[in-house]
Amino acid sequence: MGLKRTEWRAVLTDVQFWVPLGVLLAGLLLLRWIR
Amino acid sequence: MTGALGPERVRRLYLAGVASGFAAGAWLGAAEAPTKLASLALPPVVVSLAMVLGVFVARWSVPALVRGTAGVGTDVREAPHLVVWALLAGGLWAVANTLTIFAIRDIGLSIAFPLWNANSLLGIVWGIVLFNELRGARRAQWFAVLGGAALMFLGGTALAVASTRATTGGHAWRGVTAALGAGVLWGTMYIPYRKAYLTGMNPLSFVTFFSVGELVTMTAVAMAQEGGLATLARDLVEARAALFWLLCGGFVWVVGDLFQQYAAKYVGISRGIPLSNTNQLWGLLWGLFVFGELRGSGVERYAEVIGGSLVMAAGAVAIASAAAGATERSAWEAAARREQTRYHVDPAYVRAGLRGEAAASATRGRRPVDWLIVGSASAVFVGLGLLARRPAVALGWTAFTGLVAAMLALLVGTGYLLWRTTRFN
Repeated sequence: MGLKRTEWRAVLTDVQFWVPLGVLLAGLLLLRWIR
Repeated sequence: MTGALGPERVRRLYLAGVASGFAAGAWLGAAEAPTKLASLALPPVVVSLAMVLGVFVARWSVPALVRGTAGVGTDVREAPHLVVWALLAGGLWAVANTLTIFAIRDIGLSIAFPLWNANSLLGIVWGIVLFNELRGARRAQWFAVLGGAALMFLGGTALAVASTRATTGGHAWRGVTAALGAGVLWGTMYIPYRKAYLTGMNPLSFVTFFSVGELVTMTAVAMAQEGGLATLARDLVEARAALFWLLCGGFVWVVGDLFQQYAAKYVGISRGIPLSNTNQLWGLLWGLFVFGELRGSGVERYAEVIGGSLVMAAGAVAIASAAAGATERSAWEAAARREQTRYHVDPAYVRAGLRGEAAASATRGRRPVDWLIVGSASAVFVGLGLLARRPAVALGWTAFTGLVAAMLALLVGTGYLLWRTTRFN
C-alpha cells in the first residue's frame, strides 16, 4: 500500500479510523456469538 | 473551496445525487431476487461468500469498463490513505452481509429488512457529527431529513408487519440482534464512504479497494466458520449449481451500490442513504409480483402493504426535496478542508472532486488490461451459468419483465445524468 510513516500517523490518530474499526471488531464478535 | 460553483451547477449535482439514490434503491432491492433462486440448504457463510465473489468480480470489471483502471492509479497517488478506509469499509460490508443471512434464517426477510435498514438513522448521526452535514441548514431542511427518515422507518416497519409470515421461532432474539448488528455495521460503513468523497476520490476507484477488504474478510470469516480451506472449497463445489444465481445477486448489488456511492458523494450520507433505502419498496415489488408472496392474503393485508409503501415513499420524497443550502455546503467544504490538511492532499484534487470534475492529474482511457478484466469477469459468469440449474420456482414473468425494464431505464437514465453532469467523477 506504500503509506509513509507520517501518513500512518495521520490515519492512526484520526478518530474517524477508530470508530469503524471498533464497530468491525464488535461485528466479528457478534458473528462468533451468533453462529 | 468550490470557488465559482454557481447555483445551476449546485442544482445539477444535487439532482444527480438524488437520482443516484433512487436508482440505488431499485438495484439494491433487486439484489435479493437472484439469491431467492439459490438453495436455502446452503450454509449462510457460503451464500455470503458466493455473493462477495460476485461483488468482487463486478467491482473490478464495471469500473474497468466505465472508466478504465488507469484512473484508479491516479486516485491512489493523490490520496493513498483512503485505501485503508476502503479496506475497512469492505470488511464492515462483509460482516454485515453475513449477519443479514443469519437474521433472515431466524426471523425472515420481512422483519429483518426494516431492522437493518435502520442503518440510515445511524448514517444521519455520523453525517451530522463527523462531516458537518445539516450544519447551518434551515429548520425546514432538518425537519424534512429527520422527519423523512422517521417516516421511512415507520413505513418499513409497517411493511414488515404486513408481510410477516410465521417465523421459525426459538431464535427470534438472535435474529433481531443479527439484523440490528448488520444495521450498525452498514450505518458505520458510510463513514469511510463520505470521507473518501469529501477528499475527492472517484467512487469507481474506492469500490475497487473496498472489494479487496470484502473478499479478504469474508474468506477469513468463512474459513473460521466452516473449519478451514478444504471444507470451504468442498462447500463451494457442492453449491456449484447455485453459485451463478448468488454471483448474479452480488453483481446486481454492485450496480446499486455504485449509485449509492454517487449519492453519498453528491448529497451526503444523511440524504443519500435514506434514499437508497427505498430498496425495501423494490424488494417488496419483487416479492409480491415475481415470487408470489402474500398470494391468497386478504384485502386488509394488501391495504397495509400499500399504506406502508406510501408512507415510505413520502419519507423519501421529503428527504429528496431538502436540498443543501449555501451555509450547509460551506460546512461540507470545511469538513473537506479537514481531510485536505490532515492528509496533505493536493487542494486542486479535493476541489475537483467536490465540483464533480476530474482532477488535472487524472489519467484517462482504457488499457488492454481493462479489457482483460472485463473478459475474465464475463468468462466467470458464462462458466458458472453453464453449471447452473434452473430452480423449480414459479415466477411472475410479466412482473419480472416490467421490473427489469424499470431497472434498466433507471440505469440508463441516471447513468446518462451522471455522465453528463460529472463524467462519472
